Amino acid sequence: MQILVFSLPLRPHIVCNETLRSKGMRHLKAVKVLEYLDGQATEANKLELEQHLAQCSDCAELSREIQTFVLQFQADAAFEPPPELVEWGVALFQPMLQPTGGKLRKLIAALVFDTFDQPLQAGMRRVGAPPRQLLFRAGDVDVDVKIESMEANDRITLVGQVLSTTEKFFDNTPVKLESHGIVRYRTMTNLVGEFSFDEVPKDTYHLSVDLPEGQITLFCVHRGNS
Amino acid sequence: MSAAKYKGLGDPELVSLCLQGDAQAWESLLVRYRRLIYSIPVRFSFTGADCADVFQAVCLRLIEHLGDLKDVTKVSSWIITTTTRQCIHVQAQKRRETSTDDEFVEPVDPSENIEEVRIQSQAQQNVRDAVDLLPGRCRQLVELLYFDTRNPSYESIAQSMEMPVASVGPTRARCLEKLRILLRRRGIQ
Repeated sequence: MQILVFSLPLRPHIVCNETLRSKGMRHLKAVKVLEYLDGQATEANKLELEQHLAQCSDCAELSREIQTFVLQFQADAAFEPPPELVEWGVALFQPMLQPTGGKLRKLIAALVFDTFDQPLQAGMRRVGAPPRQLLFRAGDVDVDVKIESMEANDRITLVGQVLSTTEKFFDNTPVKLESHGIVRYRTMTNLVGEFSFDEVPKDTYHLSVDLPEGQITLFCVHRGNS
Repeated sequence: MSAAKYKGLGDPELVSLCLQGDAQAWESLLVRYRRLIYSIPVRFSFTGADCADVFQAVCLRLIEHLGDLKDVTKVSSWIITTTTRQCIHVQAQKRRETSTDDEFVEPVDPSENIEEVRIQSQAQQNVRDAVDLLPGRCRQLVELLYFDTRNPSYESIAQSMEMPVASVGPTRARCLEKLRILLRRRGIQ
């Protein structure tokens, strides 16, 4: 068996330019540039490197790019979100999209309207936290949700209606409110498909509606102003 | 599939796996873009709480729009646009909430700064993507040297990578040169 080994061509150590060629100088190695950038070069080497960088545009570019990488890496440390925030984001998926394995069909509703995304009309000013209105759509089913925040007791009231694009109402339909993978609250829709969860603690909830066609899941998040 | 294999997958593959209910694919996608998402509110000089709110909102938006992202090869562009919009929204809301009737606040045109944020965020993500494409040991070394919050010494890096301490510096230089070549091959300088 023949094994072919390909190596990644790094910068060839050729001579820099006419001036440096006369002195027999070659392109700087990245390790030397890094030593210089780290402040680890000796005084004599530092002077020689600086002279070289001033005369060789290729090496100056190498130095600039390596410096940019290092600065970007260092800056990136400040952009690291707290681990619990990443865990929160990862956990968001768990109860929602995993296949049920059973006969139940799961539909993830798409958010089609959110007042949180709407700018205020010119000249209008909000007093306190306004109710947040969301409209989710899954197939031919719409779920209208309003979240009202009660600053006094740090709770929210969530009311909604399950609507069909046809004329039928989704009455007596189970609706669940889940957080952290656990069903916290359950209710049933009334004759016209309305449901309500009154004064539940502020949290991030997944709202599920159990329809004969399948289970519709919505994401309802409490944010600072909803 | 191992975590390393997920890391090697492109965005379309990860999104497709997410839509099939693969939780590990979602985790990989979120881990890949966590710094990009968080960097934007930080660049807007938001407080920690506001940065967290924006991060959460974007995670939700991402999960809600996974279906729309199926054919998108660059999730990063979508994230930058969505996160920037979210930041502008939060900024505008805060401005409205803090201003009183007595004062007239001249609307600020943030477009210049926002464009700068977008360019910087994309440039930084290009470097992150290139680091992910480095050979395993190079990637490991770069992560230990620059991203490990414990700030390990050269000695402990050498130990965990099973290499002599004297090799850490030259290996780092070779890895950064490889990174440079990778970025050039992708047309990014």
